Amino acid sequence: MTSLRDEPVLETVRICSGYGDIQVLREVSVRVWPGRLSVLLGSNGAGKTTTLRTVSGLNRATAGSVRLFGRDVTKLAPSDRVRLGLAYVMEGKRLFHRRTVEENLLLGGYGKARGRRALRRQAGAMYERFPVLGERRRSRAGELSGGQQQMLAIAQALMAQPRVLLLDEPSGGLAPIIVKQVLAIVDELKADGLGVLLVEQAAEEAVRIADHVTVLDVGRVVIDKPAAEIESVAEIQHAYLGGYRSKPPRSSLPLL
Amino acid sequence: MLARIRRVPFTVIPLVLAALLALLPWLGLGIYWNQEIVLTIGLALLVSGLNLSFGYAGELALGQVAIYAVGAYVSGYIALNLTSDLFVSLLAAIAAALVIGLISGYPGLRLGGWALAMTSFFLVLLVPDLVNIFQKYTNGTIGLVGIPPLTLFGQPLDSNQYYLFAVIIGTLWFAVFRNLVTSRHGKALLVLRRSPVLASSLGIGVRPLKLKAYALGAVPCGIAGVLFANLEHFVSPANPGPFTITTAIAVLAASVLGGSTSVYGALAGAAVLQLGPLRLSSFNQYTDAVDGAFLILFGVLLSDGLSGLSSRLAARWQRRRAAPGVGSTALESRAGREQLAGRLSGAPLEVDSVSKRFGGVTALSEVSLRAEPGKVTALIGPNGSGKTTLLNMVCGFYKLDQGKIGLDGVSLAGRSPHKVAAAGVARTFQTPIIPKGLTVAETVATGRYATAYTAMPTSVLRLPAHWRGQRADRQAASRALAVTGISHLATEDAESQPLGIRRLIEVARLVAAEPRVVLFDEIAAGLDDDEVRDLGEIVRELASAGGTVILVEHNFGLVLDVADEIYVLANGRVVAFGPPAEIRAHPAVLREYLGVSAEALEPVPGQTATEAHHDQPA
Amino acid sequence: MTTIWAGLSVGGVYAVVALGYNIVYIGSSTLNFAHANLMMLGVFLAYWGLVQLSWKIIPVLVVAVAIVAFASMGEERVAIRPVRHIQGQLVTMVGAATLITGIIEIVWGQQALTVPSFFSDTPHHVLGGAVLPGDLAVIGLAVVLTAAIALVSRLSMVGLRALAVSEDRDAAQLRGINVRRMQVGVFALAGAIAGLLGPFLGPLTFASYTLPASLAVIGFVALAIGGYGSIVATTVGAFGIGLVQQYTSRYIGANYENLMVFAILVVVLMALPNGLAGARRERVV
Repeated sequence: MTSLRDEPVLETVRICSGYGDIQVLREVSVRVWPGRLSVLLGSNGAGKTTTLRTVSGLNRATAGSVRLFGRDVTKLAPSDRVRLGLAYVMEGKRLFHRRTVEENLLLGGYGKARGRRALRRQAGAMYERFPVLGERRRSRAGELSGGQQQMLAIAQALMAQPRVLLLDEPSGGLAPIIVKQVLAIVDELKADGLGVLLVEQAAEEAVRIADHVTVLDVGRVVIDKPAAEIESVAEIQHAYLGGYRSKPPRSSLPLL
Repeated sequence: MLARIRRVPFTVIPLVLAALLALLPWLGLGIYWNQEIVLTIGLALLVSGLNLSFGYAGELALGQVAIYAVGAYVSGYIALNLTSDLFVSLLAAIAAALVIGLISGYPGLRLGGWALAMTSFFLVLLVPDLVNIFQKYTNGTIGLVGIPPLTLFGQPLDSNQYYLFAVIIGTLWFAVFRNLVTSRHGKALLVLRRSPVLASSLGIGVRPLKLKAYALGAVPCGIAGVLFANLEHFVSPANPGPFTITTAIAVLAASVLGGSTSVYGALAGAAVLQLGPLRLSSFNQYTDAVDGAFLILFGVLLSDGLSGLSSRLAARWQRRRAAPGVGSTALESRAGREQLAGRLSGAPLEVDSVSKRFGGVTALSEVSLRAEPGKVTALIGPNGSGKTTLLNMVCGFYKLDQGKIGLDGVSLAGRSPHKVAAAGVARTFQTPIIPKGLTVAETVATGRYATAYTAMPTSVLRLPAHWRGQRADRQAASRALAVTGISHLATEDAESQPLGIRRLIEVARLVAAEPRVVLFDEIAAGLDDDEVRDLGEIVRELASAGGTVILVEHNFGLVLDVADEIYVLANGRVVAFGPPAEIRAHPAVLREYLGVSAEALEPVPGQTATEAHHDQPA
Repeated sequence: MTTIWAGLSVGGVYAVVALGYNIVYIGSSTLNFAHANLMMLGVFLAYWGLVQLSWKIIPVLVVAVAIVAFASMGEERVAIRPVRHIQGQLVTMVGAATLITGIIEIVWGQQALTVPSFFSDTPHHVLGGAVLPGDLAVIGLAVVLTAAIALVSRLSMVGLRALAVSEDRDAAQLRGINVRRMQVGVFALAGAIAGLLGPFLGPLTFASYTLPASLAVIGFVALAIGGYGSIVATTVGAFGIGLVQQYTSRYIGANYENLMVFAILVVVLMALPNGLAGARRERVV
């Protein structure tokens, strides 16, 4: 445990956010450090995806602020945040299915580099890192398998040479063995100095590789501590069952 | 004095105005204004036809001008060749309008949006070609000339009498129009406009209702044709002229100007465009520019037109004059609720080995489930597990690939959604679907459209059955509002309420329909703890009243609290089912849904998970 | 064969209308109903420049391109960006189209005007049929523009970005694409092309304020046949419509040509809701 903490590369400070007048997040604060993996857990509807969408700018925070490299980006458009070094891999592999693998990679790099030649060179670096993408560079993204699409989605995000990466359930719909591969890649990214915020439902696997764990329950942070301080997964299961909400006794059945 | 005026029913005012209008020629109105007013009535009729299809049913079908032409030619042809009797002319034109309206409305059942707008525009462009093709009857580009004046019982009408005829027929139509849109059918059309899915789920057959709207919308256009033909005594397809795109656009502009769901707005919009500095009938070179400007201005800024503006101003004026303490819009959002009384005749819902594939993806694989009346059956599972797919299949929105779905032993397979709803299956939606332009009480009453149906003619003619239906609707609505605790919001606009209230409105709408089976689709999402607790009580009461309640949920706490039996879905399969106590500790549930393995669990010494969770500090 | 040339030249006009629709659709997912009116504005500006001011062709083109592009961007800003839902957009776009026509009527009156062609007035005989060189130019322009736009959208980064925006707006934003700038850009491009084509279309269509409505609707039929966003298929559909019109006019009667196109529209909309290109593409779940 270090006593001196680096500055977070990404920080949300008590954000409230939602869709229309459906408020999902209630004062959520999350932090990501360079070279470390922060994992965001919670059951469905807890607000994990909403948090990522608000960080990326797709959803507007109605209160609180989002800070990227210490700078307040709460009012910036998503495309501007990308330019500052943020990359977001959405849930369900939101690739451009009708475009080829190569075109998807080129589109990924648009935020940082211009010029097809520079982008092609970077794509080449991705093919070295993910050989299977190189083999299928002319296939349409929609024709790849689930695991390959996930890899493409991550590679596409990396084309922008981000310093902060948001990953939303990369294991979704994938067989356990592919999940292991994907999470191994995530682990490697830390070594590149990337700050990674990973949202997962597969809590056990994620906690195993995490440096920091945050658990949401109906839009509120209920656990927020370094992974090393998590005693057992039961602690997290407790939160999923709503254990942190006060509940009145069940109403008695009216007599009929 | 003002108070006494306000107590007079609102409908008297338009009738008085109509009577005044009718008497104008005998008060000295010149022939020029005589003609302009008849043309205004004609335009208002066209606008009301557009309002029915666009404002109410939500479809931009702009073919009114084509039917206008049909009405004019039919009336002119009959007057020239058969008889100039007024009734024959009118009836023939209306009949022709209905037929053409139905035929041209048929593509509108399948199309929507731009496709429908373009297709209907095309109809207007075809008028000159059709006139030429049917030259034998229409006399081609020369047109029908010298149409004799209409006769009533053999006597030809002079221009003042014709004017009176126009005012009377216009008033009659607008009375029909008003009675229609203020009845259940008008509300059903607003539901249809908001969402055909919602309409189906309330038991409203989308296609029949759309066809009726198109057919009815054609009638005033036919009448307008009669008025035009017999005013000018001349019908031709020339451009500039009455049967052109310019007129169609003017109709749209007048509709948007007056407010596309307003009855009197049609008259106001028509009056502004016809009688204003533009004089629409002179087809001068400024018409298009002004129409275009109006359309953009009102489309962007005042999308509900002058009538919307005036009703908002009236509401603000009323609120200012109301007693202090009432009338602030920051109303108490929670009032006490009453318990649900009465019985629901629930029936068992059986889902047997149901499978569903979309393309290459299997959404559901041999899922079986049984929901009993008097019980709350919950369905939980992660995103993509198939919960919503199953719900949509029960409601009839997706076809079964395999398996059976039965209600009380009767198969629901292959039934369209509105038939499933008519069988007594009611549902809520993940995001509440509330039509625009209705109060909370009116929205709740729409739940009864199919279950307590009155025919359109009955409503239009205001027969006793209509009033009985209105009274029953009001009573059912107020009971339902009491159960959900939102009676104090009955007269407020429904669509602008906050999410928690809109969820309650959906629940009240469902309660008012007295369903046999109730499907709740993630109603707890986005609500705070108090709101979730209230909903939980209502869910339990619906079950205790005898209904079959199915709860699709993410909120595990709510499910554990209210469910009698829980089914857990993952990857399209049922991985576990049983009572709450079993499910919360079930290894498959923990693995699939919570992502933890059973071995990783270490129970807190001396307590089970259940006891631990109840001991948490408030 | 003369009929074929006539059909292809009319089809060429429809093709460029539909091309304008497609360009805007690809970059912004909206259908700009007013495009045909912008094209007609270009024709009237050509008349103004060539006949009323007697300018040379190049300055006329420059001014026309600038004015129409500007009008198009103005339309986007005033009538499209502020309105979000489709029912409102239908109203404001019809309004924009009508306003443009209205301005044309006020400035140039309601008579149809002849725009002189700078090709000769004698028909050439090509492949056994007679055709005016100006009409050949229109056909050629339609083909060239289609090819150019199709290539640019496939091969250039800008085109790739536009395709990405039309496929998934959110995902495009996350890849750093400024979707608002893209939307303004495609409106400007479509407007510029409309302005550029004025002197070429003028001799074929006349400067007429009543024409945009039928061009708009028939251009839409081409779009329905080809599929929204499918550039080549739409142009093929447009040429097809032109041919159908001319053959119907010749063998059945002039009054039936639009009726035939209408019949095609209804059949296509009911049977192929995604157009020809969409039918081939497999559904991606």
